[in-house]
This record gives sequence, structure tokens and C-alpha cells, in this order.
Amino acid sequence: MALLNELFEAKKFVVTVEIGPPKGVDLTEALEDAELLRGRVDAFNVTDQQSSVMRLGSLPLCHLLKDRGLEPVFQITCRDRNRIALQSDLLSAYVLGVQNILCLTGDHVSLGDHPQAKPVFDLDSVSLLQAASLLQKGQDLAGKELKGKPQFSLGAVVTPGGDPVELQIIKMEKKVKAGAQFFQTQAVYEPETFARFMDKVSYLNVPVMVGIVLLKSAAMARFMNKNVAGVHVPENLIEEMDKAPNKAQKSIEIAARLIREMRPLCQGVHIMPIGWEKRVPALLDAAGL
Amino acid sequence: MIVTEQKAFTEIVGYLNPYKRLFIVGCGSCATAWHTGGETEVREMAGKLQDMGKIITGWVVVEEPCDERKTKRELQRAHAAEVAEAEALLVMACGAGTGTVAMAIPDKPIYPALNSLYLARLERLTRTDERCVLCGECVLAWTGGICPLATCPKGLLNGPCGGYKDGHCEVDQSKECAWVAIYQRMKNLDSLEMLETIHPPKDFSKMTHPRRVDKTPA
Repeated sequence: MALLNELFEAKKFVVTVEIGPPKGVDLTEALEDAELLRGRVDAFNVTDQQSSVMRLGSLPLCHLLKDRGLEPVFQITCRDRNRIALQSDLLSAYVLGVQNILCLTGDHVSLGDHPQAKPVFDLDSVSLLQAASLLQKGQDLAGKELKGKPQFSLGAVVTPGGDPVELQIIKMEKKVKAGAQFFQTQAVYEPETFARFMDKVSYLNVPVMVGIVLLKSAAMARFMNKNVAGVHVPENLIEEMDKAPNKAQKSIEIAARLIREMRPLCQGVHIMPIGWEKRVPALLDAAGL
Repeated sequence: MIVTEQKAFTEIVGYLNPYKRLFIVGCGSCATAWHTGGETEVREMAGKLQDMGKIITGWVVVEEPCDERKTKRELQRAHAAEVAEAEALLVMACGAGTGTVAMAIPDKPIYPALNSLYLARLERLTRTDERCVLCGECVLAWTGGICPLATCPKGLLNGPCGGYKDGHCEVDQSKECAWVAIYQRMKNLDSLEMLETIHPPKDFSKMTHPRRVDKTPA
């Protein structure tokens, strides 16, 4: 097992897969899904109450994966914790052997299943990265000295399809300055758009993992186009899905093609199966990974 | 201005259930401009309560009920007799106005008729939007006069999240993304480089309640 920044430094094409903790305490399925991919992916990216839906925490599942010899990435968002809790959880992650950290702002609570909750956002993704960087230097945000310094591999996210994209790039640069060592992107379906984006951010000299979300149907593609910011599925892919007799097979074929096309443009791929975890091995086969 | 909305009449009636004789206080400032607690609304409220059999001992629209001097002048002097006859007061002002009335009349129960919503720009007589959260350390110098704390649901200080689409916010697609608006304004002002600065987290100690300023010389 190696930390993600070490893999990027070794010029490896990094493959991570997203895995969501359950709503409840039965981890059977989550651990089964991870086990299916043992030896096939570099890390498991564990979501932090994704879409603001209350679930089991990211950190305990990261820890359990680590115990089983699987490398986790701890997603940590600013939605539910203030700077005291965030820094404390970063320290906790380190002592539990969890060192890959993905720093996110987090979805707003109004999009989840507890819309009346108080949204925190005491820090944002940039200041969270700064906090993690400071902790590594043995200091906290209040300037107090730590007993023992943690070491992290710090990641962040970016949306190549954001419009205006300059606004995404300004923030991406801030994240690099704040300590981000790698990026993963929102789902990309247009290699040309991604190529233009990668060209624009090449000056940042930071590894980027392209985000791949498995399309399940033409309806899902249309839904994302209408509702998901920064995601655009082109009409030809929607048609391809629509006409396909076997949707699952077509979904994998499209995702594998996207990975093959974008592989030369970036340093890794982050797969978000959203319920189709069991199909990831087939995708990896098809993509030659 | 402070934007308010009238509470549901059933909620107001619920509070006033134990009382027969009431005095109503309106606000001559924000609640008059926004038509939630001016003279017209106070008269309407009085009429509806009278229809239910309540006795309105009197009413007044205080120029600024959040100004304790003006409130005391009206309630303790000009309308003292009518207030004395009432068992309770209903205040049609923001929380600051209602709270000030409570301080001025310590011996009678006070009830709010309005919910206080936000500090706003009055765009036109029927439209306002939130512009300031009274954070205690104004950031407008580097955001082109558009407050991200008041106009971004996450109050982000270092640029947008990934949730903007066609310039709109994913939390409420009818609203524009604060950071797209800031970006466009800074671009027009040829000051985009100002967006490159990393801003430290907000000092929330400046928002610890209750905040109080006393400019009286010691």
C-alpha cells in the first residue's frame, strides 16, 4: 500500500474507486464491494455523508479498510464540522493509519435528508487544505504547537465542466497553494472539454484523476444534464445508451472508452459507480486497467 | 432594511388566546416600507382581532420601535393610558423592535406578529434580497460589493463550490451563484487578480451574541 502522492510521484496511472458507507451499521456490502477490487485499484475513496444524506462516517470505514490491507482515501467535508472538529478528525485519521485525505466543501444540507440541519461551513475546501498543511508542520489553525506531526497525502476536487471554467481554475490554484497534491474531477463525458481544461491547468503541475460516473440509462444522462452542475453528457452518448439493448454492457463500454481516450491527458482515474460497484472489475478489464 | 413577514394569523391568535384587551404597536420604518407592520397592516390586524371579539385599547405606529427613546415616548407617555388598559401587547415590527418594546414595557406580556427574515436591499416595492449578515468584519472590499456570506448558501470566502450551473446556484436554481456574480463584476472592473488571494476563515468570535456597543465616554 502506498499513499496517493507517492504513486503520482512514481508516475503510476492511479485508479481509485468511490465507496459509500451505508445508512446504518451493516458493512457487509461495502466490504464485499471493496474486496472485489482488492489488488485492482490503488485506493478506495470513502464518501463523507454524500449528498448530505446521514450515514455511517467516512473515517471508521477508512480505518476498517486499512485494517484489511486496503488503502483508503478519507473524504472530509466542511458541511457538518467546525474548525475544531475538522482538525481533530484529521489528527484522528492519521493515528488510525488513514493518510490520504480528500478535502471538500461538501454539499449543502438542503439537498440531503435532514434539510433542517444547521449548515456549518466554518472552513471551506481551501482553508481546510491549509489547516491540514499546517497540522503537518506541527501547528494548528490557532497557531498552537502539536505533540507529534501527522503526515498526509492531500487531495481536492475540481469541476472541468464548470462554466465559467476560469472560476474553477482560480480556485484550483488556491487549493494547490493551500497544499493540494492531487485532484479528482467531477464526472467527465467529453474528452475534448477535458483536454482543453487540462491544457489550461498544466501550469499548476499537479496530478489530476479524471472522474468517471457509470451511465445507467439515457434518462440518467438527461437528468444529470438538467440537474448536476458541471456535468454534460453529449447527445451522441445519450443516443448510444438509448439504443443499446443491454444497458449495463453499453455503460461499461462507454466508460471504458472514455477512460482510454482520456488516459493520455491525465494522471489517474476516479471511478464513481453509484450503486454499480459490482460492475467495476468488468470496467477495469474493458479499460485495460 | 430589515425584511419581515407576518406570522400565520392562527399562530398569533394562539398567543393571544388568554387575553381580551390588546394594544398594537407598528413600525414606521422597515415594516411600513415592506407593508408588514405599517399603519395599514396595524389597522387590518386590529379589525381582524376585533372581529374575534378582542378589544383593541389602542394602537400606535412608532417611527422606529427599535429606538427605545421613541418607543418609550409613545408607549409610556402619549399612549400610556391605552397601554395600561391592555392585558398584552402585539408588536408588528422586527425582533429588534419587538424586543425594544418588551424592554420599555416590563410589566406586560409582549407578542410578535412578524418573523424577522434578513437585512436586505429593497429592489422594488415587492422585491427584496439579502445583502448583509452583520458579520462584524466586512469583506465587500475584495468581493466587488457582493457579500458571499449573504448570497452564497455556504458563505464561501474563496470562490464557488462545484454547484453552479448556468450561473445559478444548485441550492436554489432561481438564484444566481454569488461567486459567478462576483467573478463577472470583478471581470468588468478588470480586477480578476483580486480573486486569487486566499482568505483565512472568518473570525466568528465577532458574531458571538449578544453584541453590544457603548460609545459613552468612561
